[in-house]
Amino acid sequence: MSFSPRISRRLALTALGAGATYALAVQTPRARAAEGRPKYFIGIYMPHGVARELWVPKPGFEIAYPDSSLAPFADAATYGQSFREQILTVEGLDLTAGMAASTSGHDGSRVLLTGSGGNGRNASLDQFLAVEQGLGQGLPLSSLVLGVGRPDPALGFCISYAQGGSALPKIIDPAQTFQQAFAQWVVGSDPAALAKAATERKQGKSLIDYWRVELAALRARAPASERDKLDQHATALRDLEQRLEGELGACTPPHAPDPATFPLVQAYQGGEPYFDTVTDLQVDLLVQALACGVTRVATLFLNDLSRTHVDPALPDDVHIDVAHRYESAGRDGQGGVPATWQALARQNRYTYSKIARLLQRLAERQLLQDTALVALSDMGDPARHSSRQVPALLAGGWGGRLKGGRHIDLGEHGTPNNRLLVSIQQAFGVESEAFGQAADPAIVTGALDLA
Amino acid sequence: MNRAPIALGALLAFACGSASEDTHAPPAAQTLLAPALRRLSVAELELAAGNVLGAPIALRDSLPPDARQADFSRNIAQSVDSLTLRQLYDATRRASESATLPTPSCAALALPNDENCKTELISALATLAFRRAPSREELARLHPLFDEGAENGTFRDGAALVLRALLASPQLLYEASLGEGATQQGAVPLGQNELASALSFLISGAPPDDALLSAAAASQLTNGTERYAQAVRLLSRAETMAQFQRFVEEWLGLVQLPQLAKSNTVAADFGPLSRALQVETRSFVADVMAAQAGSLQALFAGGYSFVPDEVAPLYGIQPVPAGTRVSLREFGRVGILQHGSFLSVFAHEAESAPVLRGKAVLTRVLCRKIPAPQELGIDLMFPAPDPNATTRSRFERHAVDPQCKSCHAQLDPVGFTFENFDAVGRRRSTDAGLPVDTRGSITLNGSSLEFKDSAELSQAIAESEELRNCAARQVVRFASGRVDERAETAFVAEVATLPFTWRASLLGLFLSYVKSDGFAWRVSP
Repeated sequence: MSFSPRISRRLALTALGAGATYALAVQTPRARAAEGRPKYFIGIYMPHGVARELWVPKPGFEIAYPDSSLAPFADAATYGQSFREQILTVEGLDLTAGMAASTSGHDGSRVLLTGSGGNGRNASLDQFLAVEQGLGQGLPLSSLVLGVGRPDPALGFCISYAQGGSALPKIIDPAQTFQQAFAQWVVGSDPAALAKAATERKQGKSLIDYWRVELAALRARAPASERDKLDQHATALRDLEQRLEGELGACTPPHAPDPATFPLVQAYQGGEPYFDTVTDLQVDLLVQALACGVTRVATLFLNDLSRTHVDPALPDDVHIDVAHRYESAGRDGQGGVPATWQALARQNRYTYSKIARLLQRLAERQLLQDTALVALSDMGDPARHSSRQVPALLAGGWGGRLKGGRHIDLGEHGTPNNRLLVSIQQAFGVESEAFGQAADPAIVTGALDLA
Repeated sequence: MNRAPIALGALLAFACGSASEDTHAPPAAQTLLAPALRRLSVAELELAAGNVLGAPIALRDSLPPDARQADFSRNIAQSVDSLTLRQLYDATRRASESATLPTPSCAALALPNDENCKTELISALATLAFRRAPSREELARLHPLFDEGAENGTFRDGAALVLRALLASPQLLYEASLGEGATQQGAVPLGQNELASALSFLISGAPPDDALLSAAAASQLTNGTERYAQAVRLLSRAETMAQFQRFVEEWLGLVQLPQLAKSNTVAADFGPLSRALQVETRSFVADVMAAQAGSLQALFAGGYSFVPDEVAPLYGIQPVPAGTRVSLREFGRVGILQHGSFLSVFAHEAESAPVLRGKAVLTRVLCRKIPAPQELGIDLMFPAPDPNATTRSRFERHAVDPQCKSCHAQLDPVGFTFENFDAVGRRRSTDAGLPVDTRGSITLNGSSLEFKDSAELSQAIAESEELRNCAARQVVRFASGRVDERAETAFVAEVATLPFTWRASLLGLFLSYVKSDGFAWRVSP
């Protein structure tokens, strides 16, 4: 098995030309990284909000206290090192643009990376960076959109949205993740196989050229209302071209995952016992895709622990019997039911353990410092299905821009999550003070002070 | 399962006068849909690609699932995203390598330089893929691909690359309803080939056949009566029954059935049961379509079903031979709203869900608009469990909470009528050890009606004009792939002029829509 250690120069030039219709606010990704900016973006959805009582760090950013949901990040024995200094927690964010458009509760994941409600037409931050800002240009995949349990792009089950506002489907099968990210390049050194791959690349390019002409003919007849749809199709063609022409960077390629270890992958169709395995594989493949130069942008939609039996201490139905039963003490710390905090914190701790594994893998590949990771939930208090006070975990080095080991409390009055998205895009060099869509410009404008 | 084809039955006597007269005058533009491109659903793509390949192709395990709008898989929001295109690319490459070239006969023995056979083959394949005769320019763009494929290879290699090009061509992937020809008073008619595809995909979920393409070539589809005749002809296609079953399942939200989980306390193994519930509903819908032209009265209050063995214990009956029509009225199940499929979808994992059931009836069956709590700024709170209280009593606090009252005064009295069915639709007489109370009420056609249970509710709904109007709206949503208030209102007004048997049947509504101006015209962009 051999891999080229370089990115195709010709492809890089082609991609720049293809992206010329967009206003590129930044230089090439390689140039941005050289300027001390993050090179990789990872967006993660976590279910069920958090038990605030066991999520907020104690003074001194103590996160290893009993029942703390953030404890995995201080668990050096399990994850190779403590990531306490590589994470920053933010509380006080509201999904304001979503609430203004009646996109909240279980639909709130729509808002997390878009900063807009169900009627929004802008791309989510990951796709904005990958496609519109060129972070994914010149690579085999402009982005990887992964999930666990449900592949369908239904409202409430997606965080990645294309320009135009359509939800992107997720890959939930690790075998498919491998197939999409690596299999094409695992050709080997057999001359016949290499020749076949070369023919496939050449013919694939001819097919793409043909489809582009046909798409342009269709576009010429289509009304303006259909342009977003056709633009997305054109983006898909460009991605396919990149996949055909791109080459892996220098890396140790992964082995194909063994499907026997996850015979079923769909929620409610028998996949639950394998979600833990699937999540680990998706995490590992994601990091390997970054390390091998397959992509620089990824999202991961995590599932809950319902019927997985991973944690025997939790009820079978985590959604109803944990999330719905949570009784918070609120910000004033009065009342609430501690047992319900502990149950929800167990779910949260499981989710964070997977993110800790992701940080561990990034660190092993020397990618952590250059990664900007954000993990968000669609709810603050899940029993109320509240889109207020949603938790945010920022992690990675952000190219040296993120100072971790801290907790930022934005207060109880609610700061639009758009501010966080603005901060992230600015970290990547996008010189804009706004992200998302809302009738009130104040919702989408302004950045967080993360200093 | 009933395998009889769909028949006009009672509609036949009224066929001649069943829809608006054919006129050459353009319809009022303000009631027309906007032009659109609709990416085919995965099920449609399978049939469209299979038509080109001349052999079935399974794409549903390769492509991402459909993005649904209001649960309908046919919708204009579907797009060709990167993952879908990559998966399609891989799947069609595999298919083209294994396909037996369907036409023409010369292809089997032709050499790569056989120009006549090449020309014939490309034209035949492109016609199948584009669902119309390709233009000279379109054919010219395919020839170099054939030559590239055949270079250092065989005739078949050339054909394989053309096949790959066509199977992921935008012309195959989208159903275009853009309109062709001169704008008339703000309206533009769909082209003949656009009409052929729209009609075929709507009625049978499949691409147009030769007869329909011939009618298009002869410019016959401008005529509503001809469209009607073609639609009636398509009723005998094998795919058509699946299309009507799909419509009912998507309309009523039953497509969510495979994605449900149920607690072991209500179903030891819900997977097999849920599949059996799906079989029951599909069998019932097939019978209603075949034997009763899709009568809404039969669908919602027919009083019978076809009960698989796995479902019989749930319904409290003895197993019967497959395909046996069983009267269920005496068991409180009069129609599809008392099917285990509907009752399971609109329930929680371990308990009934009167709010979900009430909302499904009001919004899906009657097309009423009920705002979500989030739209009103209300936090959605799930009532706390109480082993000593019935579900109804736990939810009845809605009736006194001033924030909740305005909507739940409509929702809950409808949802409570189903309280004699648990989370999987098993009939029960007690809840939490207390007798269930299934009394409820609804306002229908301006009259406040009270019921002792959901069977009585279903009977009243089945006979209501509100159901018939809602079904007409849902047909427009399914056909157009969008929610368009003006187009729906126009069709509802149109069907109000039809004989009762037409507007009271799904078949009558579909055929009327195909014949209508709203189907055949678009507003000029």
